[in-house]
Parts: sequence; C-alpha cells; structure tokens
Amino acid sequence: MKASAAGVGLGPGATGVVSPGSMKPTKVSGAKHEERWAYALLVMPAVLVYWAVMAFPAFFSVGLSLTNYNGGPLWSSMNPVKFIGLSNYIKMLRDPFFSVSLKNNMLIILVSVFGQIPLGFILAYVLSRRLVGLRDFFQSMIYVPTVISTIVVGILWQSIFSPYGPITEIMQQLNPMWENTLFINPRTAMIPVLIVILWMYTGTYLIIFLANLQKIDPEVIEAAKIDGATEWQALRYVILPALSGVVVTSAILAISGSLQSFSLIFAMTAGNPARRTSVLSLYMYDAAFRGAPDYGLANAISTFIVALSLVLIALLKFVENRAGGREE
Amino acid sequence: MKRETSLPARVLLYSVLLIFTFMTLYPVFWLIMSSFKTTQEFQVNRLGLPRRWILTNYPLAWKIGGFGHLFINSIIYTVGSTLAVVLLSLSAGFAFAKIKSRATPFLHGSFVIGILLSAEAVLIPLFLMANAAGLTDTRIGILLPYIGMGMPKGIYLCTEYIKSIPDSLVESARIDGASYPRIFASIIAPMAKPVATTLAILNVTGVWNEFMLVNVLTSKASLKSLPVGILKFSGALSSDYGKQFAALAVGMLPMLIFYAIFRNQITKGVSAGAVKG
Repeated sequence: MKASAAGVGLGPGATGVVSPGSMKPTKVSGAKHEERWAYALLVMPAVLVYWAVMAFPAFFSVGLSLTNYNGGPLWSSMNPVKFIGLSNYIKMLRDPFFSVSLKNNMLIILVSVFGQIPLGFILAYVLSRRLVGLRDFFQSMIYVPTVISTIVVGILWQSIFSPYGPITEIMQQLNPMWENTLFINPRTAMIPVLIVILWMYTGTYLIIFLANLQKIDPEVIEAAKIDGATEWQALRYVILPALSGVVVTSAILAISGSLQSFSLIFAMTAGNPARRTSVLSLYMYDAAFRGAPDYGLANAISTFIVALSLVLIALLKFVENRAGGREE
Repeated sequence: MKRETSLPARVLLYSVLLIFTFMTLYPVFWLIMSSFKTTQEFQVNRLGLPRRWILTNYPLAWKIGGFGHLFINSIIYTVGSTLAVVLLSLSAGFAFAKIKSRATPFLHGSFVIGILLSAEAVLIPLFLMANAAGLTDTRIGILLPYIGMGMPKGIYLCTEYIKSIPDSLVESARIDGASYPRIFASIIAPMAKPVATTLAILNVTGVWNEFMLVNVLTSKASLKSLPVGILKFSGALSSDYGKQFAALAVGMLPMLIFYAIFRNQITKGVSAGAVKG
C-alpha cells in the first residue's frame, strides 16, 4: 500500500518542487509535469482499490498466519496478539483433515489436468478438423454447464446422485438390490464431485483448444497430408507441437481452478460425510467460521494454498522447459 | 488422398459428440422437467415428463426465496463491479501502455501477479478488514472486493490491447494540444471497445455466479445475492423438491439467456482470458 502510493506520488510531487526552481524552458517541464499528473490520475484509482482489497490482504494473511489471532481488536492491551512463528503451520500439518483435504485437492487437480484437458482437446480436434459439421452447435452445448452458477450446479448434481435422483432410479431398474450409498460411504463420496468437475469445465478447454486450433494455418496440415502424412501423423507432428504452449496455459488454469473448488463442494456435500470430501479452501473456511474461530490456522491454510499453486505452476514450467529443450 | 472422412468414422464421431452433448444437457433438462412436477409426483415419477404440468412451484419458490431482493442485489453487484473494472482497467491500462514512467514495471507487475491470487487467498483478511472498517453488511463492502478481484485480468488485457494502438495517434493528439484525459476519452476508450466488451463479459459471468465472498461478507438477507439465496433451498427446504427445482431453474435462467445472447463474445472472452495463467 505505502510503496505504491509513494511510487506514484513521487512523480508529480518531485516535478512540482523542481520545475519552478530550475529555469529550464517551461514548455518542456510543463509537459513532463502534466504527463506525470495524468499518469497518477489514470493509475491511482485502480492501484488503490486493488492494493486495498487484494495485494494488502494477501500479505496480511501471511502475517496473521504467524500469530495466534483469534478475533477481537488487533491491537489491544488486554489480549495482545502474539507472534508464534510457524506453530500454525505445524498444527495444520498434524491435522488429519489437512491431509484429507490435500488429497482431495490433488484428485481434483488430476481429474482437471488429465481429464478435462485431454477430453477438451479431443472434442476440439474433432470439431476443428471439420470431421463433423454443426461445429458451433456442439461447442455451444458442451459449454453450457460452465455458465451456470456453481451453487446451482452443486445442488442439481447433489439431487442427481442422491437416493431420490435419476442415477438411483436407473441403477435400481438394472439391479433392484442396488443401494445408493455414494454420499454416505467415505470411500465413494468424492466420485460424484469429480464427475461434476469433469462435466462442468471440459467446455472451457474445448473453447480454448478450438480457438487455437483455428489459428493453425490449414495449408500446413494440407501440405503434410500431401507429403503422405496420415491423420494421426499430422496430429502428432504438426498440430500437437503447435499447441504445446496452449496445453501449458490450460494446465495452469486447471491447477489454479482446482484449488478454487470451494463453492461447488460447499453446495454439493459441504465436506461431508465427516469432512471426507473437504478440500483445502473448505478446510480453511471451517477453521475460520466453524466453531471457535482460529484465524491463525485459517491464514496458514490460505498461505499454503497460494504457495502450493505457485509451486505446481513452477513445476509445470520446469517440465515445459525440459520437454521443449528435448524437442529442439 | 482422401479428403472426406469415411462413413463409419463419421458415425462414430457423431455418436461420441451426441452422447457427450446428451450428458451435458440431460441434467439441465431433468431439472427443468422436475420443476414442473409436484413433490408427490416427483416421488413416484422421477425420470419421466410431468404427467400434469404444474406452474405453481415458480411463484411459491420466488416468494419463499425472496428472489426479488436477490435479483436486485445480484444486478447491483454485477453491473457496479463490471462498470468499475472496465473503467479502471482501461484508464490504468492506458497509462501503463502509453505514458512512460519508472513506476510502471512495479505497478503493472503487481497486477499481473494477482492473476494467480484467488479469492481464497484473501477471504479471511478481507472479512477481518471489513469488520474493522465497518464495511460488513454494506453494498460497498461487497463491491470493492469484486472490483479488486477483476483488476488483474482487466489490467493485463487492457494494457496489452492498448499497446497495440499506434503511438502516433496519441503523439499527434498531444501535438494538437489534447490533454491525456481527453485522449483517453476520445481516442483510447472508443478504440478499446472490443477489449472492454471481452472484459465486461468475463466479469459479469464471474461476479454473477460468485458465492464465497458474498456469503462471508453479508449476514443480512437484504444484501444477499442469487447464489447465496439459492443455497437456502438445499438445506431446510430440500425435501420440497418441486420448489427446490423451480428455485434452481430461476437461478440458472439469467445466465443461460445471457449466454444465448452473447455466445460469441463469451467464447472469445474465454480464449482471450486464457492467454496467460
């Protein structure tokens, strides 16, 4: 907050002091002066809002994660907030619900990266190569789930998988003895969530891949075909290399999106049974708002979420560089 | 060289796509059909079309859920934050792209890094700060975070777009004596309409469906938005199936209409928004 205000404020302030003193031609320094004022004026509102509600809270969160703050005024003499080092992180790592949440988050990341992306690519490829007509129709329809509110999606699918929903009905038609324990059994409770995540976001990757496939010059593919390349070879040696950057971008989107699955799970299972479908963001929410507030722990979790996504993205970039290096 | 895909391959591809589309649309279809059944009928006829089409679920759900308030709030949050995000991103993007300053790398960088910051990362500090500032249960206390969260992508998209506008246009306007605000209003803003549209659409879909922040930052029923209001139907009211499905349908409809109208722009926005993670 301070740094930015100083950085911008310095510009006009400094000129204001310098220009009357120095006897330079007023036109030049006047223009410079105006330029700095205009810059500050144009940038300031965005910087102020963004730093107040995003940048500062992000740092504040890291700070709080190192304290034992659990409500009330931050600076009080009665109950001062104490710096407790990494205790919250140790508490988090020892908490069994942390590993459950982390495991579920990893499952979601796996389904996103190795489910949504390949599926989205295959659908986009089939549509882009004009292997079928009605491209716009299919693209539009498959994207529909993404525009529906996550909360609606969560409740809808909770109903679909519930004992009174269509899945139970169909399964019981096939096998009257079948009992729906999907959401009660801790071992299976994540399966519906993963299916919904696949259902909801595959359309996003379909759109991203389709847009980028259309940028590839069709003549390049035609040329490969004339040289005798099969459909598969054209895909392997022409199309996939051209899309490697898009794949990485999609994977970054999938990873950061996967760590944000709060609303869907909140609406679908609320983490039940016995918090077995919890994810890190839900675990954080529970630490702060369920029972006695433990803001230190909650902020340790949110800091961990940010760190985890940065590490995963760095890892991805590393793999990309190595893979890219080998291809050269 | 054969250009056409063979018939069996075609049949296979079409069936894969049709099955996929069916699986995508069936849950939505089932939801709408169920919203026209009474709860009694739903219990004996879960899969079929309604035997008797009932419309009363809708007005009842509307009343129980207080959808009038919810809609007004959702519209205020969505429109307010979108206008602000577009205006602030365009103006700051203009400065970053066209006015030289030593502050730009740092300031612009601080926004770009924010693309990786999710609402989760700031949820609890925002809640504590809103409490301390007396902004919980106020509309501005919800609008400000929404605006801030839209900025990183907005600044990124707008700066890149405005960079592609020729410098000569700005320079010749400067020589003619136009001030920067004037150049912004009469040259940059009109030329940046495509990126403004993309950004607006990304922001509308994001804010309209946002749940976590507004849920934490409001406790008053009169300030809640649609997603928060709809969640009520999964708890205490969840066994009243007819009304629950009507509420879900009402919650779903505005975005489906928005999508039907702006389908092309949304598609463009999604691929543009994915330029960088």
